[in-house]
Amino acid sequence: MQRRSHSADAAAAIGDAAARWRHSDYPPRVRTQARIVERTGYSAPVVEYALDRLFGSISADALLKTIASEVGERRFHSIGRVAIISSRTTVGVAVVPAAFALCAGCSVLVKDREDALVASFFETLATERDAFASTARATQWNGERDAHDLSAYEAVVAFGGDDALRAIVPKLASEARFIAYGPKASIGYVTRETLPDEETATAIATGAARDLVLYNSEGCLSLHALFVERGGRVTPADFTRILATAVQEALVEFPLGERDAEAVARAASARNLAIFRGGPVYSDADANFVIETGSAARAPAFTPRVLAVHEVNGPEELEAYVARHALPLEACAVAGDRADVCDAAVRAGANRIALFGEMQNPPLSYAHGGRPRFAEFVRFISHDAP
Amino acid sequence: MNEYDAIERDVLDVIDRWRATGVGLDDTSFDELARRIFAYQFTANEPYARYCKTVGTSEDTVRSWRSIPAVPAAAYKEATLATFDVSRAALAFETSGTTAGTGGRHYMKTSALYDAALSAGFDRFMLPDGARLRYLNLVPNPADRPQSSLGYMMAHVAATRGTGKTSWYVYGTTLLMDDFFRDLGELATDGEPALIATTAFALADVLDYADARGLQFRLPLGSRIMETGGFKGRARVVAREDLYARTSACFGIDENAIVAEYGMTELTSQWYDALPLRRKAAPPWLRARVVSPDGEERAEGVVGALVHVDLANLWSCAAVETEDLGARFGDEIVLLGRDAAAEPRGCSLDAETLALR
Repeated sequence: MQRRSHSADAAAAIGDAAARWRHSDYPPRVRTQARIVERTGYSAPVVEYALDRLFGSISADALLKTIASEVGERRFHSIGRVAIISSRTTVGVAVVPAAFALCAGCSVLVKDREDALVASFFETLATERDAFASTARATQWNGERDAHDLSAYEAVVAFGGDDALRAIVPKLASEARFIAYGPKASIGYVTRETLPDEETATAIATGAARDLVLYNSEGCLSLHALFVERGGRVTPADFTRILATAVQEALVEFPLGERDAEAVARAASARNLAIFRGGPVYSDADANFVIETGSAARAPAFTPRVLAVHEVNGPEELEAYVARHALPLEACAVAGDRADVCDAAVRAGANRIALFGEMQNPPLSYAHGGRPRFAEFVRFISHDAP
Repeated sequence: MNEYDAIERDVLDVIDRWRATGVGLDDTSFDELARRIFAYQFTANEPYARYCKTVGTSEDTVRSWRSIPAVPAAAYKEATLATFDVSRAALAFETSGTTAGTGGRHYMKTSALYDAALSAGFDRFMLPDGARLRYLNLVPNPADRPQSSLGYMMAHVAATRGTGKTSWYVYGTTLLMDDFFRDLGELATDGEPALIATTAFALADVLDYADARGLQFRLPLGSRIMETGGFKGRARVVAREDLYARTSACFGIDENAIVAEYGMTELTSQWYDALPLRRKAAPPWLRARVVSPDGEERAEGVVGALVHVDLANLWSCAAVETEDLGARFGDEIVLLGRDAAAEPRGCSLDAETLALR
């Protein structure tokens, strides 16, 4: 039977390793950060924020609280070997499931990215606890050529596109757990009650701007569509204007990294198309961002920092929009404390109700993809009474 | 004669003259005709005129073809971009994908310009020897998909330049592989040269099918392949060099007999490979500008977004902005980005995935 003390020991070691990674001058972090900038093209402040957020959320206390909330008093045992494939992610998404799998007593192999973030973190882990040197491994592999035998794993965690996820399934053992994180989108909703004046609206817009610009809108927790209710003192049109200013300010805090020519052309085209549509458009000469008035008929642009603001009368329009475009939702940021909005977001598919500005800063306990964090990596044990 | 009839006549004259004599358009003539077309479209195409006014352009401010506002290609999905009552359109082609739940359409009042432009370009770049060929089309059959501009184009050239033997192998999403390879075998036996028109991804599928069965052919001398489309937006990407090398080996033809065509439904005219460098060349009534995000023209050789100015696009918008990347070298362009799809970096949904679901 798995001893809870094992989880506590592992969580303590992981928490200590994460604490070292929280220091911006920790040498492995400095080296890895530079490699992440090179791989992703994100600017250094964005990568720095990502690492701060990632390792800031990992502590022994947070790990154990999440574990306790998922398993309660039940007995459990490690599921065994876990493979984590993070072929399509922003920064360090594999670290959290790896941490929970290690707390469960699993042996973990991570398919790492070129920046070797996970491998570097695992090296720190091994210095905290010798056993991790053999149970926490990270390696790069490239498709079929040097892929590991996935049928040897009791659980496979995979982040990727639809085709990539589908391709993994036939390679799994029949009893294996497949924990798949496909592409998702996130949205936001601003209630009329939270728009009494420009100052309050600006605070919300500042958060929404951060959710939009971080990671080039490429994350499942990026803001892809925004709904603003009519009826507040600040109108949706005014809010859109305020948001545009906030986006420009957010781009100072989180400057753009390298933009490839294709992304630039796509953004310019999105801006010009918005102009063609005839509504108010906020952008700049280089099309670094585009904020326009949305239409229920149009799906999100899914272009970096291109956002449509939809004027709505109520949350039922959010639900209708998500259903109309068959958007697989991950999170919904909500300004205000209205149960009807949260309920609508959940019905629409959101796994998380977030605060504006915190969408890309989820707590460790957040049920990514609506799944438990820890329980995926254990077998629960029933012990019949004699 | 109405102004639009006069312009149509003038563009047709340009096309006919180039086809007959090879004489193109000098800068002054291109500029003058382009500005006449803009003036007509500004008057007759309301959504386009509104766009022009929004970006601060009017008839008075356009002093060169280079300053004609280019409508984003995606705008064809947002509005009816036509200079005439589209209920009287002779041709209507559907653009791929949708952003608003309805397909975009490119309408043409008459077929005269479209037929003349595509034929002249095809003659110059695909049939410079004037060969009459059998046509094997791995593109949509217009009988099945009349809204496909590519299908229309191949049906037209096959009917007017072919031997009378034309075959189609794409029905819906089905590729009739067995029929295609049976006909290839027949060609090799009969010694009848053919033109195979294919999209890049259909060609890749055909090669996989042949590889799996060990099929190889030696097409009769004079046979050639027109490949179009690239792999943009496709999950599968094959490098063009590999695609052509495999094609050459499978069909037993020289790689120089494979010509890439670059066109889009929103245009009337097409670009083609100019060998040996495989830069893209166009007929003289089609020119490209390479622009930065602020619309400024890039210097020669510098990569940017392509804006096409197609004088045969009389019935909609002559200037069309694309998301395709390229660089200009004289009158030719190097096209980038249609061959490879960058791996999506994040876990966000993207438009292509959403469309495929």
